[in-house]
Amino acid sequence: MVKLQLESNRQAIQRRLKWLFPPVVAVFILLGMRLWWLQILQGAEYARLAEQNRIRSIPVVAPRGPILDRDRVPLVDNRPSLDIIIDREMMKNPAATAAFVTQKLGVSADDFAAQLRRNKRGGSYHPIVIKEDVGIGDVSVVEAHKRERPEIRLEPRPRRLYRFGSLAAHVLGRVGEVSEEDLANNTFPGIQSGDFVGKSGVERVYNQCLLGQNGVREVLVDSLGRELGKVAEKDAVIGGDLQLTLDYDLQSQAESLLAGNVGAIVAMDPRNGEILAMAGAPSFDPNKFSSRISTKDWNALIENPDRPLLNRAVQNTYPPGSIFKLVMAETGLDEGFVDASTHVICKGSAVFYDRVFHCWVEGGHGYVDLEGAITHSCNIFFYTLGQRMGIEPIARHAKALGFGELTGVDLPGEQPGVVPSPEWKQQMRGEKWFAGETISVSIGQGPIRATPLQVLRAVSAIATDGKLVTPHLLLHAERGPAPSQWPVAQLPIKPESARRIRAGMWGSVNNYGTGHNAEIRGLDICGKTGTVQLISAERKKEMQKDLPAVETHAWFAGFASRDDPEIAVVVFLEHGGGGGAAAAPMAREVFRTYFAKKYHPELTSQGDAHAPGGEAR
Amino acid sequence: MKLNRRLLLSFDWLWFLALLLLTVVGLTGIWSTTAGTNLSYHLGRQLIYLCLSLVVFLVLLYFDYHVYTDYIVFAYATGIAVLGLVLVVGHTVHANKSWLDLGIVGFQPSELMKVLVIVALAKYYSETERDYLEVPELLTGGLIALGPMVLVMLQGDLGTAITFVPIYAGLSFLGGLRRKHVLALLLAGALVLPAGWMMLKDYQKGRVLTLLNPSSDPRGLGYQSQQSKIAIGSGGFLGKGFKQGTQGQLGFLPARHTDFVFAVLSEERGFLGSITLLGLLLFVSIRLLRASREAKDKVGSMIVMGVFSLFLFHVLINTGMVMGLVPIAGIPLPFVSAGGSSLMASFAAMGLSMNVNTRRFVN
Repeated sequence: MVKLQLESNRQAIQRRLKWLFPPVVAVFILLGMRLWWLQILQGAEYARLAEQNRIRSIPVVAPRGPILDRDRVPLVDNRPSLDIIIDREMMKNPAATAAFVTQKLGVSADDFAAQLRRNKRGGSYHPIVIKEDVGIGDVSVVEAHKRERPEIRLEPRPRRLYRFGSLAAHVLGRVGEVSEEDLANNTFPGIQSGDFVGKSGVERVYNQCLLGQNGVREVLVDSLGRELGKVAEKDAVIGGDLQLTLDYDLQSQAESLLAGNVGAIVAMDPRNGEILAMAGAPSFDPNKFSSRISTKDWNALIENPDRPLLNRAVQNTYPPGSIFKLVMAETGLDEGFVDASTHVICKGSAVFYDRVFHCWVEGGHGYVDLEGAITHSCNIFFYTLGQRMGIEPIARHAKALGFGELTGVDLPGEQPGVVPSPEWKQQMRGEKWFAGETISVSIGQGPIRATPLQVLRAVSAIATDGKLVTPHLLLHAERGPAPSQWPVAQLPIKPESARRIRAGMWGSVNNYGTGHNAEIRGLDICGKTGTVQLISAERKKEMQKDLPAVETHAWFAGFASRDDPEIAVVVFLEHGGGGGAAAAPMAREVFRTYFAKKYHPELTSQGDAHAPGGEAR
Repeated sequence: MKLNRRLLLSFDWLWFLALLLLTVVGLTGIWSTTAGTNLSYHLGRQLIYLCLSLVVFLVLLYFDYHVYTDYIVFAYATGIAVLGLVLVVGHTVHANKSWLDLGIVGFQPSELMKVLVIVALAKYYSETERDYLEVPELLTGGLIALGPMVLVMLQGDLGTAITFVPIYAGLSFLGGLRRKHVLALLLAGALVLPAGWMMLKDYQKGRVLTLLNPSSDPRGLGYQSQQSKIAIGSGGFLGKGFKQGTQGQLGFLPARHTDFVFAVLSEERGFLGSITLLGLLLFVSIRLLRASREAKDKVGSMIVMGVFSLFLFHVLINTGMVMGLVPIAGIPLPFVSAGGSSLMASFAAMGLSMNVNTRRFVN
């Protein structure tokens, strides 16, 4: 009985064990099939993933192309520098990393947190820059803690070096991390968040020409991201050269002339629009933007009431003052309002539309024809002419000479200015044009506004019998999309009209006119001064005091030589005094530098042609 | 007791060879991934443990297995006591307080406890003369397994604790389960488990998951599984060669010499190597099943069945895990993974099984 019981027991066990064989074999077959799937069918894909795992591609930032002057003097190139970055992928203990960064690297906890926050959206493989352009102290700290903090690395990055500091800063511009706005507008194709782009000046306009091709360094890494060796390397390619029309000597002369003033000087070849110098003051040092600019420096720039970042030559507009008399003269001559016999008798003041208007010489100029009116900047002549012509032809000719519209210069943020007309006033203020306003406009006062570059362009057109050029800074771009032609329009100015205006301007400089301070003997410099009243003489008397803030703006615009114009210069000084006294001598020095360099080395040693003029305007 | 010629003749040399092969393959995997690193001591340690394990194996093979079953109550009680001791004085590795420091070598009593539970349960179940188990027997058997399981769990080693479940399940299956009991158990499990899981708070769930996976995943869920699949898959047909596996060598594989050694071997040896390894494991499984069937008495069958359940569970969970078929759990591959206690327990269990097998004809 017991034996039988045991036997049935044994049989049951045998039966159960027999059942187990097939499922066990089946499970192993399943595992074998899984291996087949992973290693044979998907083998290539997993091999690729394994490669991707162990090879890290590190982008190598390409240096931007150098910027040269017209003689290939390098104005901007690059210098090597190191940034400290964090690889978030390798950050095991964020608290320890943060402690290291704040204690050893001197990054404030707030800055660090902000930087992490800012980059939250990017993938964790995207490294974060925590300190830029570090010195030897930080470098050695990072190197010394390489093992404990593998997530903190040094990354080389070429930085922009503006060789002459603030020289031509407004033209060259500055670089910085691309803004959200530019990314959204796709201003720079191919640029990604965190990349550096031009923020202003030609750095911005010709960003695509200056951009290099980033390289890549493929390194073998272990699972902790430690580099074990180099696998492949594609060098970064430096961006193309950008050769500007600027002349270093002229530019630095212009800047030293402006030192201590607020204003702008622009020199241009009137025949083709090549800008030889464009100086603005006050200025800034774009090197400060090559790394992230400090809050202190930024605030100093932003809060300065003289706005150092503003390029006054193109980004701000002013009443052109008496320089506008050239436009009046051209209009009068070409519209037939002025002929050889046209003249006025200036008695120092005259009544127009029941209001007394003054000339700047209290006793008056006496008999003045067109040339004399330009030479001596007689207001009464142009008041009379303005009254006779009315606003319509004046506005039409001003527009033709480029006022009220962009010059097309290759710089960002250009302002168009204002040419007042009945339509303009109706549109802007909803009011009717009063004939009396034409009188103010006739001497470049009132609502008319122009940039110094517009003034220079119009004067250049007078110099060249009506060639309206497109002012530009680009001479040659080695690479990338850049215009190779700059349109020149021929205005319907009669050569005889232009000749008479030039004669007046020649007199202004060379025949005891308002611009005599610009005279250099032997050079037929032509010019016109302008002094912008910001507050009427009557009102000044009422206030009974001299406010320095309401000092007049000073203008001088001219060219040389009269018969073969090759350089045109405009000087503008904000609250700088009289055009003849303050602006004309600066223009003279620009002319002197130009001609000395080009033809007459002896000019540099020559003394002033005239003693500084007293009351001339 | 004499070691006579008949016993030597019925010793399954092929089976033993398979075990040695598995161990050697494991050693090459350990060598490949740890040589020249700060883990290089693992190979030497594994060799020392191998020698110790072979001694244990021979001792357990030498005496008739009924000797062990006779003293099992005492041995089991001692085991429980040691587990309790570990809980008090053991030291912590990877948050698991399951190690006993024995001078040169650390030791995990929980590994050997598995073998004790197998023998104890086999002994208890084989005492019934029915060909199926009644509820009181199932409950008592459950307690035999549950006691050490709870102690191991208290040590924080959930991975090892769970291995008591397949031992209990395998032996109960062999002891004979009524269909209604199975259904009731499944139903209860189906009801209790999800409900219990739902009642846990998120951080508690996370804790359970981390316990199941001691080398917790620092880079997000699925990273280890993905790296393991990449390692295996990138091995292709022939493999990358000894010490040439980038996934293992560069540290992308977690626990590369222990729980993930199968992935290392698959990467370096390719499909050819991994399928051979799988074949060896299948061979041992089948040998165990056959030994259980051919055992001369019920307690013998039961012992081998327990060893089979434990072995198969480890093999399936470990290989399934590295191939990305089951979640990551800290379960080593028997004989192959680095780890002295595990190796010793595996050889002890196999010693017992081959003991039963060798004496299948002896009366």
